[in-house]
Amino acid sequence: MSPADTKPKAIRRALRSEQVIVFTVASQRFAIAVDAVQEIRSADSLAGAATELVQTKLKKVRHKIERNGRTYYVVHAGLHFGLPVTRPSLVLVLRKARACALVDRIEQMVEVAVVRSLPRAFVGEERRWYRGLALMGDSVIPVVSPSGFLTAGEISLLDSVRAEMAAAAAAEAEGVSAP
Amino acid sequence: MSATPPAGERSFVLLRLTTQRFALPAETVIELVVPGSLQSFPHTDPLLLGVLVRRGQVVPVADVAQIVAGPGAQNRKFYLIATRHFGAAREWCAIPVMGDCELISAAPQARDEGAPAYITGAVHLGQEQVPILDLDSVFAARIAEDSPAEVRV
Repeated sequence: MSPADTKPKAIRRALRSEQVIVFTVASQRFAIAVDAVQEIRSADSLAGAATELVQTKLKKVRHKIERNGRTYYVVHAGLHFGLPVTRPSLVLVLRKARACALVDRIEQMVEVAVVRSLPRAFVGEERRWYRGLALMGDSVIPVVSPSGFLTAGEISLLDSVRAEMAAAAAAEAEGVSAP
Repeated sequence: MSATPPAGERSFVLLRLTTQRFALPAETVIELVVPGSLQSFPHTDPLLLGVLVRRGQVVPVADVAQIVAGPGAQNRKFYLIATRHFGAAREWCAIPVMGDCELISAAPQARDEGAPAYITGAVHLGQEQVPILDLDSVFAARIAEDSPAEVRV
């Protein structure tokens, strides 16, 4: 028996439970830990701050934004999860990740008793996408992993696109300023 | 599900996936359940239809009929919950079936040469020869012939 098991039930529950934000993308519900989200903004409010990324290899990422000295790549969650394309209205700016997620709407903020492991039967990319599954009433909702929106390879690709764009912009500026 | 069959015999659960019946070793079968609400979320495995919540557990639902009986299986309104092995770990897995499951005792016969690896033998019931399925091997066969991942919901 682990030390946690010796505690009363209510304390054990409190130790394991966590606050999650339930959001939807194309009518599909997902959850993400509250702690994993730095801010939630309307997609419109970020329109002026977003810079288009000129690349075609990664369709789910079309823009980047700079916030607090960091570059975030804006991931269209619908394209990421292979869902029908919708017009997202919100951006989840994530902590400890280089991604922001474009989602349709926030449904609720709720405490879940426990996040269960994804069954081993799931062996594909979903193991990277999800931390586990939350039971909410009769519903099973995948709890997304913030680091699952972009792989290291994808970040590397986007970083090189960004560097190329910066170099091209610098070269253009030099050309303009040259006599 | 367990019983003590006569010497040389084993217990099997017969399940119908399409017009054909298959046998699963009874010790791998947990229960037959009426349909609950199948929950789905994006994933990349064409064999998985979603998950069920059963006795507090999240149970993946796998349409193994796609592999062992081909496409076109219909009217499978019940779920047979069986055990899958992942190394030393075990996990429940629900298989959509047509409902008319039976528990029998029979002496298993050797598998036909050329039968897929997931058929480990057969039980003879009158004129009918019912293939014995090894569930873990069905999934292994699927992985071997998998095409590039495509997202399912």
